[in-house]
Amino acid sequence: MLDQLIAFFNALLSQTGAAHFALGNMVMITIGCIMIYLAIAKHYEPLLLVGIGFACIVANVPGPPDDIPGSHAVSALLYEVKEGGLFHYAYQGVAKLIIPPLIFLGVGAMTDFGPMIANPKLVILGAGAHLGIFVALILAKVLGFTLNEAGAIGIIGGADGPMAIFVTVKLAPHLLGPISVAAYSYMALMPMIQPPIMRALTTKAERQIGMAQVRKVSKIEKIAFPVIIAVIVNMFFPPVAPLITMLMLGNLLKEVGVTERLAKTAAGGLMNVIIIILTVAIGGTMGADKFLTFKTVEIVILGLIAFMFGTASGVVTAKIMNLFLTVKINPLIGSAGIASVPIAARVSHVVAHEENPNNYLIYHAMGPNLAGVFGTAISGGIMLALLGVN
Amino acid sequence: MDITVPDTVNGAIMLSIIDFFLSFIVISFIGLVLSAFPLMNRTWKKTAEQIEQPAPKQVEVDMTAEDHIAAISAAVTAMIGAHRIVHIETAQHGPGWTVGGRAAHHSSHAVPHHTRH
Repeated sequence: MLDQLIAFFNALLSQTGAAHFALGNMVMITIGCIMIYLAIAKHYEPLLLVGIGFACIVANVPGPPDDIPGSHAVSALLYEVKEGGLFHYAYQGVAKLIIPPLIFLGVGAMTDFGPMIANPKLVILGAGAHLGIFVALILAKVLGFTLNEAGAIGIIGGADGPMAIFVTVKLAPHLLGPISVAAYSYMALMPMIQPPIMRALTTKAERQIGMAQVRKVSKIEKIAFPVIIAVIVNMFFPPVAPLITMLMLGNLLKEVGVTERLAKTAAGGLMNVIIIILTVAIGGTMGADKFLTFKTVEIVILGLIAFMFGTASGVVTAKIMNLFLTVKINPLIGSAGIASVPIAARVSHVVAHEENPNNYLIYHAMGPNLAGVFGTAISGGIMLALLGVN
Repeated sequence: MDITVPDTVNGAIMLSIIDFFLSFIVISFIGLVLSAFPLMNRTWKKTAEQIEQPAPKQVEVDMTAEDHIAAISAAVTAMIGAHRIVHIETAQHGPGWTVGGRAAHHSSHAVPHHTRH
């Protein structure tokens, strides 16, 4: 009788997730908790890390085995989760590249491209600061990743979350979890990663260079900008056209002045909904079996290398520009060419301000910072075209 | 034409070099387009000036016409009752018009000053 009872309870237990709880699940749940802690206590990208952390925790609570009728596996990779659940459809929004363009719609609706329009020569820094993408790409290939995987890893260096997701889904969807987490985490850590590199590559005199106030950008310019850029990108970069087109649409809604409610919705309510869905989708891909691998450690390290080289190359590009300019630019704004808007621009401003309290570089740094968004898109678009992916 | 980059380290290097330099070229082109934006302001300003409505012309009214005098007299009578028209002249633009009109009216009833010997 007792044996039968024990056998009964064992059978019951085996139908729950508790019986399949592995050490890897525990580690990933801990990682999810750390993400939530960092978001709350340190304010590291809270809008993203809370959702990702929570979904990571839930995704690593194991479910019953698949051979039990009516079971719903909640662990493992989302693209193996059975249809019908919210997590599944949330991921489809990412896999079918619906969510990244909608994020860019919201970003465009809250972005002022005036600093970029006012000082066109600084857009060069938006290309110069992307050397990190290619350093990470080459190193990833050396470490044994496929070229597609290496491309997806390299794009972390562009410091553009939606672009990283976009390119990763096209090139290496199985790496979406680690690449997204690396990209967004390093964006939050930029104030710690960039300043030592910026100071090492510049002299005190260079850091103290003041920059004159830029010209005022008229309304007609701000309205023409998204239309012209959308035409250029659609004509020459079809692989990334969905992202940039939506970015420009959002910006146009903001700048015309007669669609204020649409711009508010795109930048506000819609953006919030999309962020919730995106974070759930990303966190749900962080299953222990796929995330806790040596590859993930390599991706995290390569992402850091990409950011560091990008910072360095941006500063060096600015110094090279100064060889040809009569009115010098402060080379600290070169590091803002990494696309993390507006964090990288703020870092440039803070470092310059520490050297010279009368120096306010934020508006100048926003120029290359915004150009970096296009730099990442162009780099990603060319990469997709060269790798034969549409 | 099918572009295939070999999945090797050399392929990665080749891809990186092409991508990096093409990015520079494209970004420079965007910068060039942006540098032409100030021309837009001049063109827009000219267009705005052309479609601007001309200021309305001031219409000169001939205040010596008899029917105008009759109309003004009738309006004044309606406002202030029976009166005697003292003086009518064309309106002088500027703040002195009201003052001048008031002075002319007051002086019309002035009693001549007689000195006593």
